[in-house]
Amino acid sequence: MEIKKNREGAKLTVALSGRLDTLTAPQMEEVVKGDLDGVTELSIDLKDLTYVSSAGLRVLLMAQKTMNGKKGTMEICNVCEDIKEVFSITGFADIFTIK
Amino acid sequence: MSLITTDVKDNIFYIQLHGRIDSANAAPVEEEILEAVSSCTCPAVVIDADDLAYISSAGLRVVLRLRKNRPELKIINASSAVYEIFEMTGFTEMIPVEKGYRKLSIEGCEVIGQGANGKVYRLDKDTIVKVYYNADALPEIQRERELARRAFILGIPTAIPYDVAKVGDSYGSVFELLNAKSFSKLIASEPENLDKYVELYVDLLKKIHSTEVKPEDMPDQRAVVIDWVNFLKDYLEPGKWEKLHSMVEAVPVNHHMIHGDYHTKNVMMQNGEVLLIDMDTLSQGDPVFEFASIYNAFVGFYDFDHDAALDFQGFDYDTTISIWRKMLPLYFGTTDPDVLKAVENKSAILGYARLMRRLIRRNGFDTEEGRKLIAHYKNQIETRLDSVDKLQF
Repeated sequence: MEIKKNREGAKLTVALSGRLDTLTAPQMEEVVKGDLDGVTELSIDLKDLTYVSSAGLRVLLMAQKTMNGKKGTMEICNVCEDIKEVFSITGFADIFTIK
Repeated sequence: MSLITTDVKDNIFYIQLHGRIDSANAAPVEEEILEAVSSCTCPAVVIDADDLAYISSAGLRVVLRLRKNRPELKIINASSAVYEIFEMTGFTEMIPVEKGYRKLSIEGCEVIGQGANGKVYRLDKDTIVKVYYNADALPEIQRERELARRAFILGIPTAIPYDVAKVGDSYGSVFELLNAKSFSKLIASEPENLDKYVELYVDLLKKIHSTEVKPEDMPDQRAVVIDWVNFLKDYLEPGKWEKLHSMVEAVPVNHHMIHGDYHTKNVMMQNGEVLLIDMDTLSQGDPVFEFASIYNAFVGFYDFDHDAALDFQGFDYDTTISIWRKMLPLYFGTTDPDVLKAVENKSAILGYARLMRRLIRRNGFDTEEGRKLIAHYKNQIETRLDSVDKLQF
């Protein structure tokens, strides 16, 4: 998996490509733990992401909780059909803001 | 040959459509539907699209015309492809259309596990499906799925079931494939790391017990334990039973999560991450209720049959006892022998109460072996009751 980060003031865009699974989730976890200082607007771009496992969902949930905790916002955009299906059947579509 | 089939269940008239419906067969299909419906006296008509592969606009017009006479019409069991047709054409806004479960074939799939209630097949490199033996398992599958999802959202590391699918006449729950080993296997193959695994095992248990749940989200284990104790009324000395009963009633209501079946086969390690599985027993309540089942898994089950530990846990009796003894000081943060003894007594009282009830319900009094065990459980409960005055820790 590849992570591209783009920070503009209080907005951070994180673009993920490849697979977000148990092997790669720790990379995203580092971003959630280390790069959200001063961020009030987090945008996660999944345009080139092909697969999410529960470890991946967990780290996205962690990001959501972190943003909620500091009254910031998080949106997930460019979600492919397969991953949208995963969000929807796991009930995560109701938790995340999906654009 | 009939193009449609029909049946009546609970006063609902079901029309099953089959295969493809397009301009080539729409007219005769319509004729058959109208004929069937004309003789029907049911207040409701439902189209079952379970076996429908495709429907063209000619077919959709048939449905529309039927709806004119039957405004309550609804469509069930639409596959994703068929649902998409209804959705794209705007039908889903006019007629209720319910999606069916995804259908899966397990032909040629490798069997990777087998449990008490189902068989596990590998579907592809990322996913497995647990197919339940009982064809009526759907409510149970949905229940476990919902509990797992709630725990996951509350931050408990587990693999959530993705999907429910229809597999032949049965149902299956689709999970991701875990590349994981159970703590039972890890402890059996690396006895030198026992302390490390017990520590991780206790850490996860503490995390579960510190997770607050909404009262309506998970069942209350206290009510279950009160049932066990009520069952034992005629089997324990009256004074002892009274004491046990009033102590269980006095355990405060507690809205924290308990797993309910927390043994080392239900805790897995994947790439250094600890995961919890088997979420169908999730509930809420005082930790003593959890420790009652943990006591059984490590001690109570094997009192007369030490070899059973190896069968159940995958390691020997000495190891199960040693895990029980190591985990208590870690969980309770003390090595005070009086405190730990009290914990063991409370756990054992409720653990044996459960075993005693279970054995009596399974006609334990009918065999000498059973009577011996029941007497043992009774003795354990009654003796230990003398040294405790409350059950909560």
